[in-house]
Amino acid sequence: MEVQTQTEVQQAPFVKRSALLYKLKKNKLTMVGAVILGVIILAALFAPLLTPYNPNVIDAANKFQGPSWAHWFGTDEVGRDIFTRILYGARLSLGLAIVAIVIAAIVGLMIGTVSGYFGGYIDQIIMRTMDMILAFPTLILAMALAAALGPSIQNAMIAIAFVKIPVYVRLARSETLSLRESLFVKSAQTFGIHPFRIIRKHIMPNSVSPVIIQGTLDVGDAILLIATLGFLGLGAQPPAPEWGAMISIGWKYLLDFWWYPTFPCLFLFLSAGALNLMGDGIRDVLDPRSSR
Amino acid sequence: MTKMIFKRLLLLVFVVFGVTLITFILSNIIPGDPASMMAGQRANQETLEQVREQLGLDQPILTQYANYMQGLLTGDLGTSIRTQKPVLDDLIIFFPATLELAILAFFIAIIIGIPLGILAAVKKNTFWDHASRIFTISGISTPVFWSGLLVIFIFYGVLGWFPANGRIEMQVNPPTHVTGLYLLDSLLSGDWVAFQSSLRHILLPAIVLSFAQLAIITRQVRASMLEVLEKEYFRTAIANGINGPYLLIKYGLRNALIPTITVIGVSFGALLGGAVVTETVFGWPGMGKYVVDSIAYLDFPAMMGFTVFISIGYVLINLIVDLSYYVLNPQIKE
Repeated sequence: MEVQTQTEVQQAPFVKRSALLYKLKKNKLTMVGAVILGVIILAALFAPLLTPYNPNVIDAANKFQGPSWAHWFGTDEVGRDIFTRILYGARLSLGLAIVAIVIAAIVGLMIGTVSGYFGGYIDQIIMRTMDMILAFPTLILAMALAAALGPSIQNAMIAIAFVKIPVYVRLARSETLSLRESLFVKSAQTFGIHPFRIIRKHIMPNSVSPVIIQGTLDVGDAILLIATLGFLGLGAQPPAPEWGAMISIGWKYLLDFWWYPTFPCLFLFLSAGALNLMGDGIRDVLDPRSSR
Repeated sequence: MTKMIFKRLLLLVFVVFGVTLITFILSNIIPGDPASMMAGQRANQETLEQVREQLGLDQPILTQYANYMQGLLTGDLGTSIRTQKPVLDDLIIFFPATLELAILAFFIAIIIGIPLGILAAVKKNTFWDHASRIFTISGISTPVFWSGLLVIFIFYGVLGWFPANGRIEMQVNPPTHVTGLYLLDSLLSGDWVAFQSSLRHILLPAIVLSFAQLAIITRQVRASMLEVLEKEYFRTAIANGINGPYLLIKYGLRNALIPTITVIGVSFGALLGGAVVTETVFGWPGMGKYVVDSIAYLDFPAMMGFTVFISIGYVLINLIVDLSYYVLNPQIKE
């Protein structure tokens, strides 16, 4: 009997994970999102193989060409191929969004676990500070930070990471509060293990999964934020092929050369939409209440 | 309830204090020099020093911050480097335009979002539900500038139905100033021409701005309606022969509204952020456009003033949202 119980316990995570994947696969819209995102990521990775052009080389003779076989999405005001720039821009837009969220998640996890583990004054101060940041419109805080740091793509990324931190702090803290009372933490305390070692070895690994899930949900939002900062002139600066920066120049030509702002916008919409569809699917599977 | 209002107002003080502190510290490492921006490129060292002194930039950062906070308490947000006028005066001039746009967008989002959410919940897993899901996903995935550009391209570029810039036609006199909201003012003064012109101007940006919030509201109404539809009292109502809109509104919507209101309050932040972009795209002369123009000039007092203004507004809106719970559900006491 005992042996049987043990195998059951060991199998449980495996069964759970495959059930999760199965449910995700059953959700058609989620799969559509995954496929769209996969294609965009592959295209970004293999950009040099997919296009013969360089994203930054100026070719004034070919400026404002409409979409054709030579230039699928047309060319911009100095003759650069827009398709090429979108592919290389995907590296910037997606890459920076992911890095921003990873930074926010790691910092949030560290602050949240410490806050939850120690409680008391430390917890109060940290959580009230987080409330303060949360009590502020995300985009406007990111704008203020990016403007204060000076417009550049790294600073836009830092600004976005900063405004996203409180969400992860709250998540990690609430996980820590319940972990703190669990037997393995209590016994570790009895052995006199240093609190930071307990946090690092026992609390963090066990509170990381909700943080990862929240992270996947947030990447789509981060892509839009980066592009919006770029559009407002607070993110990537021309001639970087970042989507928001391309649109911020391109939209002035909208009525005469519709393809210039339209295609970067379309890709921005597709990647954010794909990520949101996937996030929706994950949420449905994990929280059955929302999908009923 | 008084306790809650007091706590919120205390938070407001902290928000303003914290946000100004963070922005202030960060601005200390700003690469550009606002003084040289103001004095012009050909200014010599002496003039630069003078301007710096005039702006208080020669003092240590903490003194600068203390001075700023002191001014803030008396309603002095400093002088804009770009317009050379007090920031507060500038913001008061631009505020009504933003307010008018935000209010209209908010109403569009509610008027369409709530029925759409109910429809999606009642017709769960049918064509209507899927359509509303695709609609809401595109709502939160579409950057405001893209929906703005699309709308301008179609309704201004191709069809030519609506203007794409400003609040009112150049030839039309703005209505007599009462509230600063053109639609309201022109109605109050019976100025039909001005009303028509400002309505034509505000419609496109308001629709674009409402899109994201509309999506959030629809989604929330659907989720909370689904929950209510399975409650005992709802089934009892059906069993008692109650049906139609009365059933859905009195028994369904009213109970689904509390979580929705929370989301509406939170999403107001997205609306304010969206207003900055919408105003830029449509050349709408509001606070958002003011701040974007200021950024290009490294006009720090203007940016700070805007940030403080918005943070106060946002916390107050969320306070109103919390107070509305008491109206909706008398059971909630403390």
